[in-house]
Amino acid sequence: MKKRIILLVLTAVMIASMALAVGEVTIWSWRTQDAEVWRQVQAAMRAEGINVTIKFEAFAPTEYDSKINLALQTGTGPDLVYSRRLPGGRTAELIKNRLYLPITDLVDTSNFPEAALNSVSYEGDVFGVPFAVQVVGIFYNKDIYDRLGLSEPGTWDELVSNAEAIKAAGTTPFFIPGLEAWALTMQHAMTGVSILGPDWILDLTEGRTNFLDPKFTDLNKKLNDLKVYYQPGFLANSTIDQDAAFAFEQAAMVFYGVWGYQTWKELNPDLNVGYFMIPPATADQDPYAYTYLDGAIAMTSNVKNRQGAIEVLKFAAKPDFGTIFADITFNIPAVMGADLPDDELFKEAVNTYENHASPYVYWVGSVFVTQKPSLYDDVLSPGMQALYAGRITPEELSQMAQDAISQWYPPLMSE
Amino acid sequence: MTIYSFIVIYPLISSLVLSLYRWPGVGERVFVGLQNFRTIFTGAFRTELFNAFFHNVYFFVLNTSLELGLGFLIAIMLASKIRGAKIFRTLTFIPNMIPIVIVGFMWRLFLNPQVGLVNQFLQTVGLGGLARPWLGDADLALTTIIFVNVWRNLGFYVLVILAAILDIPNELFEAAYIDGANNRKVVWRIIFPLTFSTFRTLAILLFIWSFNIFDMVYALTGVQAGPFRSTDVLGTLFYRTAFGGLGAAAVDMGLGASITVFIFAVVMPASILYVYLAERRQRGA
Repeated sequence: MKKRIILLVLTAVMIASMALAVGEVTIWSWRTQDAEVWRQVQAAMRAEGINVTIKFEAFAPTEYDSKINLALQTGTGPDLVYSRRLPGGRTAELIKNRLYLPITDLVDTSNFPEAALNSVSYEGDVFGVPFAVQVVGIFYNKDIYDRLGLSEPGTWDELVSNAEAIKAAGTTPFFIPGLEAWALTMQHAMTGVSILGPDWILDLTEGRTNFLDPKFTDLNKKLNDLKVYYQPGFLANSTIDQDAAFAFEQAAMVFYGVWGYQTWKELNPDLNVGYFMIPPATADQDPYAYTYLDGAIAMTSNVKNRQGAIEVLKFAAKPDFGTIFADITFNIPAVMGADLPDDELFKEAVNTYENHASPYVYWVGSVFVTQKPSLYDDVLSPGMQALYAGRITPEELSQMAQDAISQWYPPLMSE
Repeated sequence: MTIYSFIVIYPLISSLVLSLYRWPGVGERVFVGLQNFRTIFTGAFRTELFNAFFHNVYFFVLNTSLELGLGFLIAIMLASKIRGAKIFRTLTFIPNMIPIVIVGFMWRLFLNPQVGLVNQFLQTVGLGGLARPWLGDADLALTTIIFVNVWRNLGFYVLVILAAILDIPNELFEAAYIDGANNRKVVWRIIFPLTFSTFRTLAILLFIWSFNIFDMVYALTGVQAGPFRSTDVLGTLFYRTAFGGLGAAAVDMGLGASITVFIFAVVMPASILYVYLAERRQRGA
């Protein structure tokens, strides 16, 4: 009898300890800045009684997708990966080939808005826990604005006159990282949502207009005319140069994303940063912000610690994860209900995401970047550099876009 | 032989086979015959392919002229036993030991248009008018990359050419000087003809390496090879096609493989010539 009781107690202890110890979970990402997030998630999960060890590894963004493809096919991938959003050729292929597993019935996704879940859903199943939302626009140095008596512009012309006043005062109005073509595409796309407006982008997507519309050419022209307010030699500058110049108050404004805020504050804690959406052409139009889901945490077919991976995903779908994530990265968490940092700029970015996000876009998250030639890779990236260098005209950039996308996108194909 | 076949022959045949398929990197491969070759040699892709190809040609011509020309001059200086020759020899070889990624990072800082060492130096010596956004000017970017490449690799060519010069029997120099030859004549009548086979070998190797160049361009102007593809080479075009450049655009390993077959077709005759000359030299020895 005594032996039986001891055996029962031992079995109970073993079961209890097994339920708590979920072992090591490996996560791969392209975001180096998230290492501390996962250290704190591990601590928080352990505090909840889930004995997990999270092994986080980050890779260069440019090599990340190839690494994931190769690793998952050869069975050497991690339990969880940061996956790109949908629609997107790469993620769709991974899902179609069952290299990402559905988590629909495994994780409670009720803390996410429908828009975020749409970016990770494929044929009715959810393929990841969304982690961050990005807001892009113009970030400006409030002290410089205050010193010159400037206010946030309500129209494009007011933005130009602010730039003129800043230039006249001897400061660089805009710092542009022109060496990195993706940043110029982002600049075009964030300006487009306000200048062209979501209705025009919807018309474009549905083929009621095309890139040869004078409105699109006028947008190209507006951006090209703005280059007199950029730093000299801007086509040779990188985003690292931009971070340093903006943080150390060498330039008054940058066209960038909220993810840059963390770096600027690290470089200069006293920097006083403000944000505004790209102003529309006229005062009677509403401004819009380009916002997008950065990605999701997906479970792979290579998962070795399934139970541990599901526990981590469950935690990532809770507001607590959002609190940790936002506190460390100053990025907007995709999960709702998180305690957000008490920071004016951060609150403004969240407000923008919730109230002024453009429902239609033509860059990341749009159909125009899912095939080749892509509006992102093959048109606007080289095209904006060529426009700024004076090698092509605004009209030619429009023609480039139309010629490229009409090769494969039926609504824009000429009859 | 088995190991060699596994490491060299298998990937080669695998690339050739892959060039006949459409394959996004995962899932099923779709046989398309020669369609990938039709794609790269026609339409918009053709423009990109030949833009990159001619950049490789330019890279070969300028890079080879500079590396062999400067390498020869420096090797002659070192062979003439000037003071500090050993230190100078070591100094020229140091950049060769720095990994390409670090070279790229370092030179991006040096070439920064506002605060970079290069423009600051030009301003300090009164040549501020020559300061340029080196990597941001489409007319200069590829040439700038070639100069950085020369900076990094020159030491290797100096050492190889120096070894060839030191191989020349001393009696030949002594006889030439006794016969009244000046330094210029010694260089062009003795040193150059007797080291010519080394130059020929190095030129063939540089041809092969120039058509396989990727890392230096990637480290300095990235996979987009900007500004607006002015630094694009076949290596970066292959990378964008097979692995993707930016965003979520579809990628095609098969189309990428057809670019590697094109590179192979360009490089192969030079490789055969190199092997032929090396064997003939061995037989002669």
